Amino acid sequence: MRHILYRLKDRYHLGTPVFQRDDLCFVTVKRFELRAILTELRDVEGFTHLTLLTAVDWIEEQQFQLTYMVNNRVANLTLALRVMLDREDATGDTIHDLWPTAATYQRELREMFGITFPGSPRVDEEFILEGWTDLPPYRRDFDTLAYSQQTYNDRPGRVTHDPKTHMQKTLYADYPKGAK
Amino acid sequence: MSLRDVLSPFTAWKHVINDPVTIKDPFNRPGADRYRGFHQNDMDKCIGCGSCEEICQNAAIDMVPVEGQEAGPGDSGLRPMIDYGRCCWCALCVDVCMTGSLTMSNEYTWVDSDPDAFRFVPGVDGKSWDLEPKGYQREDTRRLTGTTRAPMGELAPEDRIGNFCEIVDGFTPEQAVIEADRCVECGLCVATCPAHMDIPDYIAKVRDGDFEGGLQLLYETNPFSQACGRICTHKCETTCAAMHEGDAIAIRWLKRAITDSVDKDRYFDLIQKPDVPETGQSVAVIGAGPAGLTTAFDLARKGHKVVVFEALDKPGGMMRYGIPEYRLPYDVLDHEISVIEAMGVEIRCNMRVGHEISMEQLAKAYDAVVLSIGLHQGRSTRVPGSDKAEAAIDLLRRITAGVEVPVPEQVAVIGGGNVAMDIARSMARLQKIKYGRVGVTVTALEDLDRFLADREEIEEAQEEGCVIYPARGPQEIVLDGETVMGLRTWKVQAIFDDQGRFAPKYDEADEMIHPAGMVVEAIGQMADISLLGEALTEKLEWNRGRIMIDSTGQTSEPWLWAAGDAVSGPDVIHAVADGHRVAVSVGKMLAAKREKVQ
Repeated sequence: MRHILYRLKDRYHLGTPVFQRDDLCFVTVKRFELRAILTELRDVEGFTHLTLLTAVDWIEEQQFQLTYMVNNRVANLTLALRVMLDREDATGDTIHDLWPTAATYQRELREMFGITFPGSPRVDEEFILEGWTDLPPYRRDFDTLAYSQQTYNDRPGRVTHDPKTHMQKTLYADYPKGAK
Repeated sequence: MSLRDVLSPFTAWKHVINDPVTIKDPFNRPGADRYRGFHQNDMDKCIGCGSCEEICQNAAIDMVPVEGQEAGPGDSGLRPMIDYGRCCWCALCVDVCMTGSLTMSNEYTWVDSDPDAFRFVPGVDGKSWDLEPKGYQREDTRRLTGTTRAPMGELAPEDRIGNFCEIVDGFTPEQAVIEADRCVECGLCVATCPAHMDIPDYIAKVRDGDFEGGLQLLYETNPFSQACGRICTHKCETTCAAMHEGDAIAIRWLKRAITDSVDKDRYFDLIQKPDVPETGQSVAVIGAGPAGLTTAFDLARKGHKVVVFEALDKPGGMMRYGIPEYRLPYDVLDHEISVIEAMGVEIRCNMRVGHEISMEQLAKAYDAVVLSIGLHQGRSTRVPGSDKAEAAIDLLRRITAGVEVPVPEQVAVIGGGNVAMDIARSMARLQKIKYGRVGVTVTALEDLDRFLADREEIEEAQEEGCVIYPARGPQEIVLDGETVMGLRTWKVQAIFDDQGRFAPKYDEADEMIHPAGMVVEAIGQMADISLLGEALTEKLEWNRGRIMIDSTGQTSEPWLWAAGDAVSGPDVIHAVADGHRVAVSVGKMLAAKREKVQ
């Protein structure tokens, strides 16, 4: 794995690699070099399989992180390339021509994170969220709790208790609460 | 189509003798080792803080009372009930769990025709996966809530020993915000606080940077928040949810941060007397300590005229005359009391009831009298020579009052409580100033881990050069004529007998003489009840040497209440709670009296 990284490092801008295991490494790359690195990994280094394409919402930094995980089956190596996108302009570069399966991942990212991939087949079609009108649900500013409370009914008979109030009732109901 | 294409499917037959890679019994296939399946909850560890409910993004969790779990210190008695119709198995509840009681098994298949079966209390409603070791458990490398206290500055031992300057810096507003951010606001601490202060609410104010709002909240439950922010025994922190897997939230220092962050003059704008009509009724309070002044504060805000009679020079009681200045500076106390006075409370100092004015006069002139006289008389060991010993409480009072006290090069203190540490450390400071060195010996009956003093008091005393001899019983104060030469002690073998009665047993062979020019007794105090007078003392009902009171603080006399250390104790925050209780009780009596007249 390190040799591969050395070879890439000569020609591309690589961040500091993070080895989760000897056979699993994460490295951040520049967006404009992603396609070249992926192509080289696939065609020269034997990383023929796109394991997954996923995203992380770093809302504090106003960035999306895309993670392209590719696998060399013969050598049993997995390399994950990270690309940072501006959160305001959430547009990635499609790689469906490198791996056709990427189109499905990209369609999912479009739906769950609102990251679009112009040119990717059927990217704007609904994936699993039918009739979704809210913010893309994997965005961190999506309020999951509010959504679930608006959308789903509670089972009848549900009652909850606040620990502080419950303890007041059971342990010190007689105490006068100050000057309130 | 080539011949190879036709034949290749048959080549698969060559694997027919290999071990199958598929699972033999797909119906009993276990989940992956770290699968997020149905929850488990360890009832011995769960404290019912409700953090799981709070974090749940699907509102799937209710906190419910369950049989066999009672509310008590640091445990709400509630347990999480999970609605699996809503649960999305994200495991945030496991990640946030303050005790690590909530985990997930790797069991995820379960069929039932009753949808309500999927709402249950893990760990209470028994399930087949309750003891399953596999499943999701929190990785301990990263926690959602911080586990360590925000740092705070304090004077190093060598910088503090030669003076009476305040030791602890207190949080800066920035440090306080960081510390407040660790609090999950479960509120388990509120039950432990004797005054039941709104702890999570004021911590939330700190986190939001709203110190003025925080101050107003503090005053709703405690007019001595500046003092308590410094010297409270902070038992709240012993029931904090954060202590189970990290440092308890520094509740006391956060309270202090609020009081320190608000400009002193702003207090008078923020804490104003409510606009209530004067009742024309009056209450006399005896003793201007925390109990008496809290009562006065509450009653004055209800429109009653309150006069506080204080025997000593200045108000504050034990907060001024017991607690040394390095723990609670006098200007802080002065300011705190001035806020109470701004409610219209009149404090008359140097008015010792029984001398300048009598109980009978008070009973006649006021609608109610509140006795909050504290414990200002030191108890004696009564060992031979003890009439030559100093009482710690007396010595502390003289140091505060600025009276010169004798400072010998070597002092021996008897006692292991906070008062013992206070006098040991005060004498150590005076020695350092006078001789440039500390010579204090502290002896107590208890083993060091059984000392009644706060841990930090003991540690700080040791840092400052006080030498502690635990498990030593005083036998004699050694005299040479009238001069104290030292303290003779024996090793303690047991403090209590089989029945749990106080009956120390000593190893007489293990004798020590601690050389000392002064021996200080700090083994407890009692109330000076001489002010009551013979007739009233006879009339009142007593309980083991203390005036008997009911749950509202009323004595057997309809016009007399008692509060604070003299009747309950043992610290400032209990006195404040007593003050509130008594104020409500007195207020009720006064209201009833008003109605009668009308």
